[in-house]
Amino acid sequence: MDANTLRGSDALPTPFVGAEIRTPRPRRPWGSIAMFLGPALCFYFAFIIYPVLVTFYNSFHILRQDLGLTYQFVGLQHFIEILTSDEVFWRAARNSLTWAVVAPCIDMPLALTLAFLLHAKLPLAKFFRTVWFTPLLMSYPVVGVIWLWVYNYDWGMANLVLRAIGLGSYAEAWLANPTTALPALILVTTWMFTGFHMVILLTAIHTIPQEYIEAAWVDGAGPWSRAFRIIIPLLRPTIVNLIILDFIGKMKQFALVWVMTRGGPMRGTETVATYVIKRAFEWKTLDLGYPSAIAVIWFVIIFGLSFGLTRFLQRKEALEF
Amino acid sequence: MSTRLKKSILMIPVLIYTAFSAGPFLWTATMSLRTTDEIYKSHYGLPIPAHWGKFYTAWTEFGYSTYFRNSAIVAGTAVLIITLVGAMAGYGFARKRFAFRFREGLFLMLFLSVMFPPQIMILSLFQILIKYGLFNTLTGLILVYVATELPITIYLLRAFFAQIPQELEEAARIDGCTDWSMFWRVMFPMARPAVATTFILNFIYFWNEFLYAVIFITKQSIRTLPLAIQFLVSDQYQDIGMLATGLMIASLPVLILYLFLSDWFVKGMTAGAVKG
Repeated sequence: MDANTLRGSDALPTPFVGAEIRTPRPRRPWGSIAMFLGPALCFYFAFIIYPVLVTFYNSFHILRQDLGLTYQFVGLQHFIEILTSDEVFWRAARNSLTWAVVAPCIDMPLALTLAFLLHAKLPLAKFFRTVWFTPLLMSYPVVGVIWLWVYNYDWGMANLVLRAIGLGSYAEAWLANPTTALPALILVTTWMFTGFHMVILLTAIHTIPQEYIEAAWVDGAGPWSRAFRIIIPLLRPTIVNLIILDFIGKMKQFALVWVMTRGGPMRGTETVATYVIKRAFEWKTLDLGYPSAIAVIWFVIIFGLSFGLTRFLQRKEALEF
Repeated sequence: MSTRLKKSILMIPVLIYTAFSAGPFLWTATMSLRTTDEIYKSHYGLPIPAHWGKFYTAWTEFGYSTYFRNSAIVAGTAVLIITLVGAMAGYGFARKRFAFRFREGLFLMLFLSVMFPPQIMILSLFQILIKYGLFNTLTGLILVYVATELPITIYLLRAFFAQIPQELEEAARIDGCTDWSMFWRVMFPMARPAVATTFILNFIYFWNEFLYAVIFITKQSIRTLPLAIQFLVSDQYQDIGMLATGLMIASLPVLILYLFLSDWFVKGMTAGAVKG
């Protein structure tokens, strides 16, 4: 259909045209728009957009808390220092990135396996789902304290289990050793989030038309090829979504570290988020400008990597079809 | 292989994961009913006899009544405000009637801010709250909480309001509804399932929030539960029994509701991820 036929169909019989003219064109209800959107936009601009802009502004200044927050312009000095000579930042960035990359690699396969198991119509499926989801409902400090106990060298559950299955020689003061502390914390987030991912994947599996799976079954596809050739490809959008959410969540990780290790031992669990807070409120520099610059850098990195990851994962999806 | 045998084999990993998932919490629950002396004698004993009085002691002598009240005030007020403000904005962003030039752009910006790391706002919020006398007040914390959860709330409710057919709105308008009465009498009641979902999602987030609380609250008398626990860990590290009781006090309100409304909770907590 080209433009002319479209326009031609506009030439309606006269009564319609007349009706069109008699109804006055509705004016935009600005009063109602302000009433519905106003309060939310006030909150949004006052407590999100304005602070974000202030942080960008602050990152070019030294802003001393002990001098009544007076501004001293320093240009790009903070950014140069962070990127070239701040070893703590690089250590923290490496830890955060490790967490953000490793966690989805553990969470997703585990959650998928569990979703498949419950999909196999096991008895008590609802009970298991309810139990696995529970850790997500507790606050990070509660989870942190529970796992401080689990990792206790003398009487914690982790070493108890190892000793019980004869691997007592591997018992470890998990959070005191710089090489095991970060993996130990990653396991805690797996404990928290796997049930959540499992529930979403299971819901997605249930929405797959039964005929697809039955057709594959009729064609003689075993459970493995049904899972890998039919179900997982169909779940791909959901999986991509969850990976990105998990990735972003771990890049922001703060609370668990703050409660369990405070970034120690020897900065083994320092994340960018904890470093920003420490730089702002615990270091004697008392400067809000420098940590603001770290926050700006991290903000750009999170956005860049999330978009990159989304495009990469979606491109792969497009190639498969 | 018979189906029964197959299913029993599949049950093995399921049970192992269940032990991993439930073990730490159940262990804490047993400790919450035992005294610290009993725990140090044997860390994995059953709570016999159960010391229910510990909950009363924690509540009255360790300040949990105050912390609980603070958490209830913050989470309750914030969730009420965000539900009303968020539903109104979700409606305003959803309906064709309220379209204006920059509306879609505004909405895209709102949507992108779901991804913002809190660090990009928290230091300047600290500065702003001090400037306006809201630092170290529950009011300041409530305002920040509402703002940080608004984007996801508006996003979810907008999706719901956008599905409501245009005819319904026109019919109500012919019956003499203004925009305001249409929203409260027709649209908001229809959106109850979606509103309940965001209500639960936000309430749990507010009840458990830690990062903003730890920066914006330094007075002991207005600490929320997550904050109080962080301080109690360092102050009474030795008193495991009492700490375990405190952990239960902080978690039980949400967990008991979850027991009765688990489907709603799961729906609420996963809503953001499924559509995002």
